[in-house]
Amino acid sequence: MSCGHARRLFGACWDDEITQAEREWLETHFAACPKCRTEYDQYSRALELLASLPRVEPAPDLVERALARSRRVASAPDRVAAPRLAWVPVTAAAALAALAFGMISPWIAQRAPALGPVARVESQAPAQPVLRTPASPERVSAPVAKRGDARTGDPLAAVSDSLFDHSADVEFILDPMTLQRGRPATLRPATAVQGQQATITF
Amino acid sequence: MARVAVDDERAFTEVVRRFQGRVTNLISRVLNDRECADDLAQEVFVRVFVHRRNYRQGSKFSTWLFTIAANLAKNEIRRRVRRRNWFSLDALQELLHDSVAQLADPTEGSEATLEREQLREAIGRAIATVPEKYRMALVLRDIEGLPYEEIAQVLGIPGGTVRSRINRARGMLKRKLQPLLRKTGNP
Repeated sequence: MSCGHARRLFGACWDDEITQAEREWLETHFAACPKCRTEYDQYSRALELLASLPRVEPAPDLVERALARSRRVASAPDRVAAPRLAWVPVTAAAALAALAFGMISPWIAQRAPALGPVARVESQAPAQPVLRTPASPERVSAPVAKRGDARTGDPLAAVSDSLFDHSADVEFILDPMTLQRGRPATLRPATAVQGQQATITF
Repeated sequence: MARVAVDDERAFTEVVRRFQGRVTNLISRVLNDRECADDLAQEVFVRVFVHRRNYRQGSKFSTWLFTIAANLAKNEIRRRVRRRNWFSLDALQELLHDSVAQLADPTEGSEATLEREQLREAIGRAIATVPEKYRMALVLRDIEGLPYEEIAQVLGIPGGTVRSRINRARGMLKRKLQPLLRKTGNP
């Protein structure tokens, strides 16, 4: 503990900022503790070396260069860049736009049912792809039939079911999935469990 | 400085002439780079000129001047750290510098001169490896000899923090110079 206290006094001792009592205590400790004595000798030697470094002389033309550059800066219209505030109007505009959208969006939602058959069809359109299986063949053929109706002049079917044109849509039919159980070596087509064909329309 | 503020060119020249040595020495010891120190010292005085009307007459001019110098030196250290992370050019230069020192012909000067020069270089490198926030306080105190209160103003930190940084910096420097201290301590 006394060694720790002694080392905490090294800085103040070097700066000559310790009291006479502290100095005497430190000297007594050094007499009894050669390790702390050596530590302090190295500490003061390091700082002596630091202080002994020669002064770095400035460049001989520093005065002229500084003066010439200061003249240039003074003659230029305020070369010191003012704080750039370009982001302020941009941020404000973005905030206003977001606020306006937030205020208008409920009004748009209210107006949507009153927009007519297009909006009604849109709201009834399925949000998720529909999985249809051969178990209900009439439902599988329904979208195709509907498109056929659209071409034959059905007024409801003539209306697009979304904002996009689906006339060139492709129906993806998943290949029959074969769920295989057991080890591959023992698998035979007869033991395989046949999955169902699935059609996904978008 | 009051005359500088009213665009007295001769007064500004006098200010540069009077403080150029201290400013160059401070920056050079903090960066351990003589060429860069010259450029930054020039920049310090240009900033003094540009901001001459911001200087408050009641405060000590050298404190204001050292604040500008310390800030520019800190910016340069940070710029170097970023550059070092991107491409270690500094490390390469340091390596080349070391190699040149090793290959220097000892017959060029006396052995004592060479040893002294190597010792100074080693001390300079040791200072440069102390972390920036401790290094600045160390140089201001133990090379420039500024009082703790003025260092606190220059660095914009409390006096207690200055003392603790200087104590830590001294400890770090002692450890870095340990091999050298053993060598020079036992001739």
